[in-house]
Amino acid sequence: MPTELNLPVPPARASRRHLGALLVALALLPLGAPAARAQAAPLVVATVGMIGDVAAELAGSCATVTTLVGSGSDPHLYRASAGDVRALSRADLILYGGLHLEAGLAQVLDGFEGRIPVVAVSEAAVPAERRIRASAAGGVYDPHVWMDVSQWRDAVPVIEAALVEHAVDAGCAPEVAARAAEYRALLDDLHAWALAAIASVPAEQRVLVTAHDAFEYFGRAYGIEVEGIQGISTETEAAVADIRRVAELVVVRCVPALFVESTINPRTVNAVLEAVEQRGGRAVIGDELFADALGASGTPEGTYVGMLLHNVSAIVVALGGELPPLPATLAAWETRW
Amino acid sequence: MPSEPLRQLLLDPTVVTVALGALLLGATAGALGTFAVLRRQSLLGDTMSHAALPGVVLGYLLAQGRSLPAMLAGALVTGLAAALLAQLLARRRGVKHEAALGTWLGTGFALGVVLLSLVQHQPGAGSAGLEQFLFGQAAATLRSDLLLIGAIALLSLGLVALLFHRFELVTFDPRFARAGGVAVRVYETLLTLLLAVAIVVGLQLVGVVLMSALVVAPAVAARQLAGSLGAMLWLSAAVGAFSALVGALASAAVPGLSTGPTVVLVATACAALALAFGRRRGVRLEGA
Amino acid sequence: MSRPAPASAPPAAETVGVSLRYGRALALDGVSLRVPRGAMGAVVGPNGAGKSTLLKVLLGLDDGHEGDAYLLGRPALQARHLVGYVPQRSTVDWDFPATALDVVTMGLYRQLGPFRRAGRAARERARAALAEVGMEAFEDRQIGQLSGGQQQRVFLARALVQEAELYLLDEPFAGVDAASEAALVEVLRRLNAQGATVVAVHHDLTTLASYFDWIALLNVRLFAQGPLAATLTPEALQAAYGGRLPLLATLAPEEVRRAV
Repeated sequence: MPTELNLPVPPARASRRHLGALLVALALLPLGAPAARAQAAPLVVATVGMIGDVAAELAGSCATVTTLVGSGSDPHLYRASAGDVRALSRADLILYGGLHLEAGLAQVLDGFEGRIPVVAVSEAAVPAERRIRASAAGGVYDPHVWMDVSQWRDAVPVIEAALVEHAVDAGCAPEVAARAAEYRALLDDLHAWALAAIASVPAEQRVLVTAHDAFEYFGRAYGIEVEGIQGISTETEAAVADIRRVAELVVVRCVPALFVESTINPRTVNAVLEAVEQRGGRAVIGDELFADALGASGTPEGTYVGMLLHNVSAIVVALGGELPPLPATLAAWETRW
Repeated sequence: MPSEPLRQLLLDPTVVTVALGALLLGATAGALGTFAVLRRQSLLGDTMSHAALPGVVLGYLLAQGRSLPAMLAGALVTGLAAALLAQLLARRRGVKHEAALGTWLGTGFALGVVLLSLVQHQPGAGSAGLEQFLFGQAAATLRSDLLLIGAIALLSLGLVALLFHRFELVTFDPRFARAGGVAVRVYETLLTLLLAVAIVVGLQLVGVVLMSALVVAPAVAARQLAGSLGAMLWLSAAVGAFSALVGALASAAVPGLSTGPTVVLVATACAALALAFGRRRGVRLEGA
Repeated sequence: MSRPAPASAPPAAETVGVSLRYGRALALDGVSLRVPRGAMGAVVGPNGAGKSTLLKVLLGLDDGHEGDAYLLGRPALQARHLVGYVPQRSTVDWDFPATALDVVTMGLYRQLGPFRRAGRAARERARAALAEVGMEAFEDRQIGQLSGGQQQRVFLARALVQEAELYLLDEPFAGVDAASEAALVEVLRRLNAQGATVVAVHHDLTTLASYFDWIALLNVRLFAQGPLAATLTPEALQAAYGGRLPLLATLAPEEVRRAV
């Protein structure tokens, strides 16, 4: 048995030299990185998922798209954190809705004007004469324009142009154009299908009661009456008068279902339901609708198409209509999941 | 301008629910606020309500979703923690009570806002209605809320009535009480706990920012007119209940009028009137 | 003035080697106080001498001390209910909504227990105590509207309803008008004549000899204690006050003469 280990022990001075060399090598490593970074995909930052998802569909692998306001978060109330501002500052293109949707982000977005291309998608896609006014007086518009698929279809060329001009390389432009054409066709089919679906609901029951006024464009496009408990923005508190008004409507019109939204506390809807019951009416709470944000990412509802599909299905089924079969393009889209 | 006759308004079940909830809450907050004001701890109510915000968010995070009991429990824990930490700061480090309370009010609220902004990235955060805790959403009072508020009101006001003499002694001259072997700390803690519970329950209705006003204003109004602690308690509860009732009815009649802030405005108006015309002129403004 | 206590009876108030610190500063240093039964005693010393602190130790109001304290022969914490305590007026917010009668009634907390309210019998006893201090006319007056002396009398009345064997008073005559002071002294003398021991933290050396028959000279350490005549010597005063009150050094011989 050896009583001592015979390991090669380098002389002290030599080991220090080795260490020094290692440190220098480590220090020089980051210098190689910028070259690699220049090859990284361009970054597009969208505020809400409805924009971000469309941008991702169009950009494909030509750009990286991130969304600030996550699923289940309310864009009316969202305030940017330092991390968000950092992400925005690294973007090659910023896409937001506009029309006061991202009330809490206005100042931050203004700060980037002139430095980074910033595009207000909703404002560009929907001309003033096609916008719905938020109140009788004043020039404030309802920002929930994506609820009308035929309108949001017009956002596709806006996003496409922005991507091609500011984000993706020239080489990618044809790919983006092709994807945009395909996506536009998909949206056309979705719109037609939604029209047919809502039409199947008996006329007297075509009333959509939701937590806040996010469905005006939806109502106008698909021929259904909408009633929101809170106003256009969730910044203000729902008032007793609002609850009573909506409850009265539900009872008088015998509306079968009320809907909660993914981004809003269901308390107000529950309060309306209680008020309805106290007046001798009956209603149920339908499936959760996605109005201000997409569903969880990785699920069908986490995409714009999936969000509308889900909303229309939930509304039609709860109100007593029948869902027509999906057109080929949509059926094909569904198989993705 | 009310758009319909008052009688119809008063009979509406939604209005009754909201008004009743507000009334019970106003009475409880007013009565318990009496002790806070007399103990020169008006800031205590403010601190506890502002420091409840991080607890609401933590409750949501721990329950991994919207759970009202978890959020209220969290609010209670952080609110009381702030009160306790302020006490420690005052006792052990000799910081003035107001300064200690003010420190934890700011810290707690800032922590709450930071947590809120972190949480808004989480899915489902919006539906948790966390933001509503800032200013309350009195209009959405449910019958289940009424049960809770009613139970809290009964419990706290019942305890006050039962232990009135002790609470009076401990509030007026805690040193004398302690010298006689009375468990002063126990009673003081009990009063703080009752106040915390009332605040937490009231948060959903009036919100973090305004709750303290509902605790303090009725007591200030009552102080100007009352000659005994019993009278002050009754008056304070009455002013609180009245303010809450008027606020609820006003917001029911006038579309777009938020309930919580209206209640607080009525309460402070009562306090202002009492200060101007009450028999006890020359109110002490320091330490209020 | 007072009956001599039997030699075997334990002192009314006693501390054994009590020391107490506030942070680094010594407030009391090895104080061994022994107040005999039936004494009309005063604890005197300069400002910051620890007189109030000593009272706090006897009443268990302090945050911790070395040494032991006894009241009426028993460990202090167990005998507190036998003691009538009259704290300094400044410890209370007189803006509290209460009448003079309300405050005196509060003194009956022990008899009433935690749950009972003060009934007619209780209020009658409170009224009687107010009459004893000459404040019966003020029973419905808000305490915030009373003068300093009247407030002090109300505080004494509150202690009276407890019918204690020992009364501890913290600066009872500070900021008090002459009429109130006279009333207070008269009540204390009456109590003393009935066998109660009185120990007061007293600030005014000029009235010392007229009111009290027993004194303790305290300045962090106990310099002297005992019957007034024997204890109140110029040397003792000098030692206790540390030359800070040269005026009293000249006054003292007069006091001594008057006491005899």
